[in-house]
Amino acid sequence: MSKEKIKSIQIEAEAAIENSKTSQELYDQKVKFLGKQGALSLLMREMGKLPKEERPAFGKLVNEAKSQVEAVYQKKEALLNEQEMASQLAKEQLDLSLPGVGARVGSRHPVDIVSKEIVDILARIGYSVRSGPLIEKDRYNFEALNIPADHPARDMQDTFYIDEDHVLRTQTSPIQIHALEREHLPLRILAPGSVFRCDADISHSPNFHQIEGMLVDRKVSMADLKGTISYFVEAFFGKGLKTRFRPSFFPFTEPSAEVDCSCFICKGKGCRMCGHSGWVEIGGCGLVNPKVFENCNIDPKKWQGFAFGFGIERMAIIKYGVSDIRLFSENDSRFLEQFQS
Amino acid sequence: MRISLKWLSNYVDVAEFFNKPEELDRLLTSVGLEVESVENQAEAFKNIVVGKIVEKGQHPDADKLSVCMVDIGAKESQQIICGASNHKQGDHVVVALPGANLPGDFSIKKSKIRGVESHGMLCSLSELGFADSSEGIIILPQEAPVGKAYTEYAMLNDVVYDISITPNRPDCLSHIGVAREVSAVLGRPLNLPVVEFSKVKGKTENLAIVELISNDQCLRYCGRGITGVKVGPSPEWLRQAVESVGMNSINNIVDITNYVMLETGQPLHVFDANEIGGKKIIIDQSKNGETFTTLDGTELKLTGHELMIRDGQRPVALAGIVGGLNSGVTEKTSTIFLEAAHFTTQAVRKTARKFKIDTESGFRFARGTDPEAVVRVMNRACQLIEQVAGGEVCETYIDHYPHPVALPKIEISMTYLQERLGYEPSESDFKMWLERLEMKVLNQKGDVFMVEPPFFRPDIESDVDLVEEYARLNGYDKIPESFPELVHAPTDHYRSFVEHHTVCEALKAEGYLQALNYNFLGSEFQKEFLGDSATALSSAGLTGDVKEAVSILNPLSDETNSMRVSLLATLFKNLIHNYRHGNESGRLFEEGFVFQRSLRGEKTEYNQYQRVGLMAWGQAVELWSQSESRPVVFDVKGAVEGMMARLGASNFQWRSVTSENVPSFVHPGQVSHLYFQGKAVGFIGSLHPSLRKEYKIRHEVALGEFDVAALMNGYPRKPKLQEISKYPAVERDIAFVVPDTLAVIDILKEIKKIVGSTLVSVKVFDIYRGKGVETGYSSMAFRMLYSDSKKTLGEEDLSVIQDKIIHGLHKKLGLSVR
Repeated sequence: MSKEKIKSIQIEAEAAIENSKTSQELYDQKVKFLGKQGALSLLMREMGKLPKEERPAFGKLVNEAKSQVEAVYQKKEALLNEQEMASQLAKEQLDLSLPGVGARVGSRHPVDIVSKEIVDILARIGYSVRSGPLIEKDRYNFEALNIPADHPARDMQDTFYIDEDHVLRTQTSPIQIHALEREHLPLRILAPGSVFRCDADISHSPNFHQIEGMLVDRKVSMADLKGTISYFVEAFFGKGLKTRFRPSFFPFTEPSAEVDCSCFICKGKGCRMCGHSGWVEIGGCGLVNPKVFENCNIDPKKWQGFAFGFGIERMAIIKYGVSDIRLFSENDSRFLEQFQS
Repeated sequence: MRISLKWLSNYVDVAEFFNKPEELDRLLTSVGLEVESVENQAEAFKNIVVGKIVEKGQHPDADKLSVCMVDIGAKESQQIICGASNHKQGDHVVVALPGANLPGDFSIKKSKIRGVESHGMLCSLSELGFADSSEGIIILPQEAPVGKAYTEYAMLNDVVYDISITPNRPDCLSHIGVAREVSAVLGRPLNLPVVEFSKVKGKTENLAIVELISNDQCLRYCGRGITGVKVGPSPEWLRQAVESVGMNSINNIVDITNYVMLETGQPLHVFDANEIGGKKIIIDQSKNGETFTTLDGTELKLTGHELMIRDGQRPVALAGIVGGLNSGVTEKTSTIFLEAAHFTTQAVRKTARKFKIDTESGFRFARGTDPEAVVRVMNRACQLIEQVAGGEVCETYIDHYPHPVALPKIEISMTYLQERLGYEPSESDFKMWLERLEMKVLNQKGDVFMVEPPFFRPDIESDVDLVEEYARLNGYDKIPESFPELVHAPTDHYRSFVEHHTVCEALKAEGYLQALNYNFLGSEFQKEFLGDSATALSSAGLTGDVKEAVSILNPLSDETNSMRVSLLATLFKNLIHNYRHGNESGRLFEEGFVFQRSLRGEKTEYNQYQRVGLMAWGQAVELWSQSESRPVVFDVKGAVEGMMARLGASNFQWRSVTSENVPSFVHPGQVSHLYFQGKAVGFIGSLHPSLRKEYKIRHEVALGEFDVAALMNGYPRKPKLQEISKYPAVERDIAFVVPDTLAVIDILKEIKKIVGSTLVSVKVFDIYRGKGVETGYSSMAFRMLYSDSKKTLGEEDLSVIQDKIIHGLHKKLGLSVR
């Protein structure tokens, strides 16, 4: 038992630790020298064989050696941990330019997106949606809307007939009549939906979509109508866009107007979108014709109203710059998948 | 309606608009006469001048081309190559200079023709659009001033406006009508033509007497004879006038009737007086079964419900619409009977629509004419016929007007006017506009006016019509913007609207693209696709009976003649379109209506149902992950399950389908019904392979359709919350050898039954066939998740449960552990 032996074990231990290549090897050396059965621990046990007076000095020496080896071990352990983490990180590197897994976004049809957006804008000022049958009775599609049989106003709409008394509705306006017949006044309603005209060509589809709004109250003026449309135009197309009314004719409104809004692409300066006029036609409107109220047994002396309507495809064409109306009905994935948001 | 500015200038001063045609466009549009297009001749013939050929030489490189030096009134003569051969030195010609744009969008530029420069073109009649074909270039008279604009020389300075006249303004279907509107807006005098004859002779009654029987449909009938006319070509002014607005010149008599109609809006008809049988004209209904041949030779079968002009023996005109071949003006005609009448809009419209005859005359009568103007217009036509065809106008004329049309008297207050406009109107302006519109103020009490509109404005019937007149003439731009007050609580959207968007959002979240199809399709295609699946679809809670499809009486084509009874046929059309455009995989859905008729007693009812359909084809693209492909029908199934979860409808079951309930377009071995709230609400399945074969679709196709009302019954649904266990859940797997005849759903059900409430979930996580597993069997691995609400499950507890499953499945289903 000598200092030399302690020293030689210490040197052997430190060398073995320094030479460890992996944390497993290092751990093995730790067990070999510092573990309960390790060389240094065994020295301590042998201390009992020494004379009593030599024991403290010897113990001190062994403990010093042990703590020095311990320090070397810890330094080596930190170094190996660091190296091994670095190599793991290097190994685990992924190319995150690869596509994400499992994302399937889906999309909504642009006509439906626009329809919903219009509803949302007008719902904020108290309008709510009504609906009605697509195969409609003559009375609702025409008669009650002040378009009697053999009246010139019927020329305005080419109609698909189902039988003598039923047509594919040519407009969403019959929903006005259903509401006027059934509901309590005052009223603010919206009627989005499919409509039909038998005059298809490059710019007309035989089955397209309209949205119609109607307000009925005690006193309703053209100014109220213009204010409402103007609110809508700014909310839908953008702040600062202007609304213009032009005189027109619809049998169920009087006075009637076509609605133009200043072109949202050129802001009214004139461009291809607006045919260099600065204005884009978006729909029609007017004060509810008293005859319509009379047809629904409502006293036009007590109630007034206004109504307005837009072509939804037209709004979508303007909003998204869709070049060909066929795109709306072909349902080509390459077109549809662009409307994810 | 085409309106010529030159023609218009006969009745109102519009001189300033020749230079600024767009200003009249703006003016007309601002009062409700929407101008759709403006054809400006001066613009169309810009950079075309009168020139003189000062030198004509041969092109060095082309026999048929000449090189001309042309004096165009400028300092230097221009070198122009010409391919014609009818010109010589000294000729005056029409020269299109660079910058000119000839009809057919042919723009003239400086160019080189076979190496020789050409600075324009010498024009022919056809090149200027005046003839369909022509030989050689135009040689002008020597007096034609060199350098002068050709439009000025040829007086081609007209502007033609195409105006879309709304049905309420029949008075504007004429030049005088539009002139009247312009005169009202601008406050300028209206100059109506003065009617006078050089001399009158004889009696109209000697040519024909008139018997007005159907006086409820013909309110007024007038006629005047002219003897000794000479039918021939129209003079230049007349031909140009009718052609300028797009009508063909026929002969002087017919052209005058057209001219006067275009001038006044009142249609006229001329009979050869010698062809009027029995010297009698009768206005009466047709006789059922008789035939009538129109001027253009079309034979009509009459039904007894048409208003006719007849002579003593036969029908001679379809009243107000078209004359008969038997009595019209021919080259031999010398005595004519000119008809001017007022037919009701309904009588003319009904007949014109029935026979689909579209004439200028019928169009105007159907829109409404002026009953008071009839005699004046008839005389105007007589005057012009006398001028262009000679002859003598009869001294007397016929005028049957048994029940003169009465004018409405309209009461309107300034208060009402203000209320409807939303701004304060000016009383003096109101009076001014009424006066300019030829409306009479019968009396005024305080702010209440009693107004009588003129006969030519049948659209003015009540106070709101006068509100519109004030608003439009004062300018719609004067209307301010106000905001209607909201004093009542808003109501809810209709369910169908909310349901539509809820279902659409639920499927969008599954990665499906929303399609929107026409509600109709070809009945043949619908029949071919759906086949005889009515019973099968009905067992799935759906419609789809092609025999009860609603047909359209007047479809645009056979491709759009039937309303759809299912969403799947149109979605399949979308698939075909996509497939043909290279989209070999796709996921579409549509939420919309289908239609089916039914009988209720004697009456046909048209029912409309809200449906959602899905169509998926090809594998969803997996770019780089290793997962193997799964049958596409499971993609649809997953989407439907996701949709159900989002609708809060997780309590549904898939059930197998007996063979008689498989729709003919569906694979009989790949189909399942969806049950919800105790009934079938739709189905999923794969497309029948025979349809894939027929349409050459190489990829799998799966589809599904559901009844939205059934899915949404009880929506919105609140989730039923369950306590979550404080103790951790543990996962355990077992694999069984399962015969192919056994449905997985039955094993899962059995496991649930065996374990009871400790089972949180059970899933199939692997299916293996092949080596080590007998044919007709698969090794199916189940993964169970266990949790107990009272304690942490230990190994012992778990092995007890696992053993119960193993024994239970063996006993109940004969399965053994693999």
